[in-house]
Amino acid sequence: MFALIDCNNFYAACERLFEPRLEGVPVGVLSNNDGCVIARSEEFKALDIPMGIPTHKIDPTLRRRVVLKSSNYTLYGDLSARVQQVLARQVPTLEPYSIDECFLDLRGMQEDWHALGAHLVRSVVREVGLPVSIGIAPTRTLAKLANRQAKAQSTRPQVCVWQSADAPELTAHLKRLSPRDVWGIGERLNARLAGLGVLTAAALRETPDSELRRRFSVVLARTASELNGHPCLSMSDLESPRRSILCSRSFGRPLRDRAALAGALRHHCQRAGEKLRRDAMQASAIGIYLRTNPHHNTPYHHACEWTALPFPSADTQQLNRAAQRLLTRLWQPLAYQKLGVMLTELTPRQQRQTTLFDGAEPARQEALMEAWDTIRARYGRQALTLGPQPADAAWQMNSAYRSACYTTRWEELPRALAR
Amino acid sequence: MSMTPIALAASTSAPTSGDTLTRGASGFPSPADDYREAPLDLHHHLVRRPASTFFMRLEGDDHRHAGLYHGDLLVIDRAISPRPGHWLVVVIDGELSVLRLERRAARLYLAPSRPDLATMPFEADDNRLWGVICYAIHALPATGEEPASPPCSR
Repeated sequence: MFALIDCNNFYAACERLFEPRLEGVPVGVLSNNDGCVIARSEEFKALDIPMGIPTHKIDPTLRRRVVLKSSNYTLYGDLSARVQQVLARQVPTLEPYSIDECFLDLRGMQEDWHALGAHLVRSVVREVGLPVSIGIAPTRTLAKLANRQAKAQSTRPQVCVWQSADAPELTAHLKRLSPRDVWGIGERLNARLAGLGVLTAAALRETPDSELRRRFSVVLARTASELNGHPCLSMSDLESPRRSILCSRSFGRPLRDRAALAGALRHHCQRAGEKLRRDAMQASAIGIYLRTNPHHNTPYHHACEWTALPFPSADTQQLNRAAQRLLTRLWQPLAYQKLGVMLTELTPRQQRQTTLFDGAEPARQEALMEAWDTIRARYGRQALTLGPQPADAAWQMNSAYRSACYTTRWEELPRALAR
Repeated sequence: MSMTPIALAASTSAPTSGDTLTRGASGFPSPADDYREAPLDLHHHLVRRPASTFFMRLEGDDHRHAGLYHGDLLVIDRAISPRPGHWLVVVIDGELSVLRLERRAARLYLAPSRPDLATMPFEADDNRLWGVICYAIHALPATGEEPASPPCSR
């Protein structure tokens, strides 16, 4: 059996944990730079304010009734790790799927599944304070569907168990479900299935395996097989390995100054290098792009240029040198609104080619980057930066409504009132 | 010259040099190496369950009689079941609040220190419970070790 456990309205729930007055209040969480709504509490959804709406387009009368928060990934990341710790202690294998979901591989366990599900939900609520729901079924694909069913329940704890793939309530459910709702089936695939008369998830799982392989792909045949209760998809089947990395951000206000742009670029190179090394990858090419605000009356300018790195690298200094050369070429005296760094042709670290002349230097650089990552992980991102990076730089994120980093900064601990 | 204090992330521990042997000038290992142990780590002593442990600052001096002072660092473990005599963080009027749990005549109550508040009945699975406080940490006077707390607001 497999389980999918998912935090309900995760970002809003994190905000409420340390700000209990937000309980029952419509809470919306904003994207980087406070641009648009990326997460909503149930009360916020009930006001019919759609996902993705630009912040300034929210109706002013509604705006007064809701609380908007800047996204606080430091806080969300810490609480996500706590949820995983609580679960990992109690099950054989845990596979994180996103910041607010993880799969549990329960094979080898003999349990009253409903009791186990209820216990796991209660332990997360009690120990971390976040509401979660759980779906348990014979395969990951079915567990994901079971989780959605659990979320629809009005009773607590939200647990849905499908003991076997031919359980009558499961069959009935699949008959009502579009293939689009099944994990890994996108809009285009769904349209092609509809063209063949496959209109429900139940019809998909009754389609012969050979036909799905012939007309579509092995992966879709496996998805159908998973709907029939045979576990055959791994997480990596559904997530193609990272092909490229993008670090970009709009500036709080337009930037003209070349030195300030160079500072923002250094910042993005640091982030990109860290992402590379975290995934044990190296990049072969780097690109940067710059653009002015397309909605302003000033002339619109967009520039993008790539360069190959001398050899595949995950070295922040190497990335930054190449990126700064590109900036020198592209920069014009304009009011830029956005700058980004892109890395591509990523390959795993171990296939590293060394050039004939690089001698001992790359090994030293690797050790340097390792020390770099360790220092920043332990002492914070501001402790060590590539060149000066003032905290109030104009290109830093707008996050006017960010909550405190309650769990990771001594000076931002929540306050509890003596009563 | 001023130094900025650096906060260690809660989950990291100081590196120990347990694998490296201390060598004297002659190159022989020190006889003390066999007896070396990892240094005592106060964080591990105070935080038994990292996933469910949170830190807060106490706001207000109303619990001074019980040895809880404004600005104290509170260590809260949500995994502990509340019992009479425990100090709790509970949500009252939408605010994180610190009160003592007491038993009177076989019933549980939240007992405030503030004279303007009445005792409140507390249920076994009370949804106002946020967590149980297991430590309150403060520097003793005039040692200058604890960064100065902002003045008490009430």
